[in-house]
Amino acid sequence: MSQAIQMTGVNLVAATNGVYRTLLASAGVSQDDVACLVGTGYGRFNIKFGHLMITEISCHAKGAHHLFPGTRTVLDMGGQDTKAIRTNERGEVSDFCMNDKCAAGTGRFIEGSARVLGLSLKEVGETSLRSTRPVQVSSTCAVFAESETLELLAWGHPLKDILYGVHSSIATRAIGLLQRVGIEPELTFTGGVSLNSGMVRCLEEQLGVKLNTDAMTMFCGAIGAALFGLERMASETTEPKVSAR
Amino acid sequence: MAPSILDTTVQPPSGNPLASGFNEAKRRQGTLLHNYLECLTKGAGGGRKFAYTFVMGNPIELLSVFGIVPVFPEVTSLNISYRGGAPGLIAASEEEGYSTDACGYVKMGVGAALKGGQTPIGTMPKPDILLLNYSGCQIYIHWWEQLHYLTGAPILTVDVPYLRDYDGHVPPHDLEYVVGQLQELIPQLEAATGRRFDEETLKETLRRSQEAWDLWRKCLEMGKLRPTPFDAYFESIYYMSPITLSRGSPECVDFYRFLIDELQRRHEAGVGPTAEEKFRLVFEGVPNYPYFRSFWDLFRNWDARCVASTYPKVAGMVDTGSFRLDPEKPLESLAEYMIHAYCNLNMIGRVGLLERYVKEYEADGLIIHAIKSCRSFSMGHGDIREHFAKDLDVPTLLLESDHVDPRYYSEAQMRNRVDAFFETLSLRKRR
Repeated sequence: MSQAIQMTGVNLVAATNGVYRTLLASAGVSQDDVACLVGTGYGRFNIKFGHLMITEISCHAKGAHHLFPGTRTVLDMGGQDTKAIRTNERGEVSDFCMNDKCAAGTGRFIEGSARVLGLSLKEVGETSLRSTRPVQVSSTCAVFAESETLELLAWGHPLKDILYGVHSSIATRAIGLLQRVGIEPELTFTGGVSLNSGMVRCLEEQLGVKLNTDAMTMFCGAIGAALFGLERMASETTEPKVSAR
Repeated sequence: MAPSILDTTVQPPSGNPLASGFNEAKRRQGTLLHNYLECLTKGAGGGRKFAYTFVMGNPIELLSVFGIVPVFPEVTSLNISYRGGAPGLIAASEEEGYSTDACGYVKMGVGAALKGGQTPIGTMPKPDILLLNYSGCQIYIHWWEQLHYLTGAPILTVDVPYLRDYDGHVPPHDLEYVVGQLQELIPQLEAATGRRFDEETLKETLRRSQEAWDLWRKCLEMGKLRPTPFDAYFESIYYMSPITLSRGSPECVDFYRFLIDELQRRHEAGVGPTAEEKFRLVFEGVPNYPYFRSFWDLFRNWDARCVASTYPKVAGMVDTGSFRLDPEKPLESLAEYMIHAYCNLNMIGRVGLLERYVKEYEADGLIIHAIKSCRSFSMGHGDIREHFAKDLDVPTLLLESDHVDPRYYSEAQMRNRVDAFFETLSLRKRR
């Protein structure tokens, strides 16, 4: 298995082609060897050479269930949005909720704070873990969070406590989403923010449960997409294909 | 291994599956609407007065006795929005100080008045009367107040009490309260128009109005057919305009007689608004007018058809048995009609109605579209979603945008939710 990540930038098609070439090279296979390619995410319509498109909601559920078969609830937190997903014992979506048109409950909130503080995404999570006296950061707007972070620094609050507040504020909103679909263990945390140790800690403290997360949960969308591709290939050999309209 | 959920990659709808001859009613609706808008923008003739009124629970049959032309700023606004013209009118109100959070209909209506009635679909007539018939929304009351300040037209109020009984029962004193106000309205309309009230004309108008309601109900209940020959949300939004604008007229009756015939012919020929019927949906909420067609495509792409919905009944809850216009009890039956407006229903009543639709129309899921503008309509949508998803195990999707303001619609986010919902429905149907 190989993996590659590339920022999409303004040209999604070029980014898609670029990451595909990287993947093929690192896996040591040619394009002709690829039997099925599945696109997922907001840019799935731009993967012109793909065979199947599936939303990241279905893919994250499937990917999380593959990594942790006991998964019944998934929290997917990325840079663009946050999703609470309920799954059944087969990893199929039974219900989901997403944040509305606002970045305040997403990874973008952390990115904004990291940028004004000149820290990497890895550093903001690890720094927040050292907090001893967390401060309250309002969770209503990702843009205002940046100025609020600077204001709290000016008031003399330690960086580690401000960053804990940033994570805590996002966790509160994410838990609100989770409660809308209902939290049933096991809860698996996916998406890019699942690599953030500070966010994992905040969620676990507020929820009072242990989250499933590891180095691969960031890739749950891609893993789920690959599994759907495998199923598609299997169904094509065992049953007649339903014609697409 | 289970088959993949998507043997079909989503494709845009390949043209209109309705061959010519099966979509004539929509063309007739377009003509009726065009004629109505012409009457507003080019004059009604004969010295007829214009009364601004709200769609929900209005007594236009009573107005027509006096030759009064009803003007529905909600209808003109949605038509302006449908044609992409909302931002200019909304901006006019916001520049005057209205909040971005205020209702888009109100801002468009006030914006048009601030511009002397000028809108992208023509110049709206100044109101002679502001009939405040729907009091279930606080901001609507202030809308009419604002129009009064801007135009000087008098406000005539019919205060309609909220339906408090969970079974929809109306206490006698509520009915008497509304009837009394309608009785007081009659001399006010006589004074405004210089015409005498003719009860026989009202009775005849009510008889024709009820005839149209009965025909419209039959059309809507054809959504129970499998497959449904029409989309009971997206197509009904076109079909609802005659009953909204011109009930009581012979043209309105003719329209629904024609529509029944067309839907019957569709049924017999096996044609409908999508190539096939893969999913049957119940739809709750106001549509998104600025992106109406692409919003509909999100569902058509999946060969989904709506079989029942609430919004096309905002002009009257025709299929609940809650009112029946009776020429022998003209004001009493009009009052019953006015009280049973959709947003006048309590939440228990609304949930019960949606449950009935899902069951009787054999729906696969429920779509709820909440709009930022309207708390009357969108109140409780989150709770309704939870009730259907968790208590009833009915797949339910809650979408959020606005009905007239294009700033609140994001195609990519909307599509993501809709596609994920249908992926889930596809899995359920395979079990």
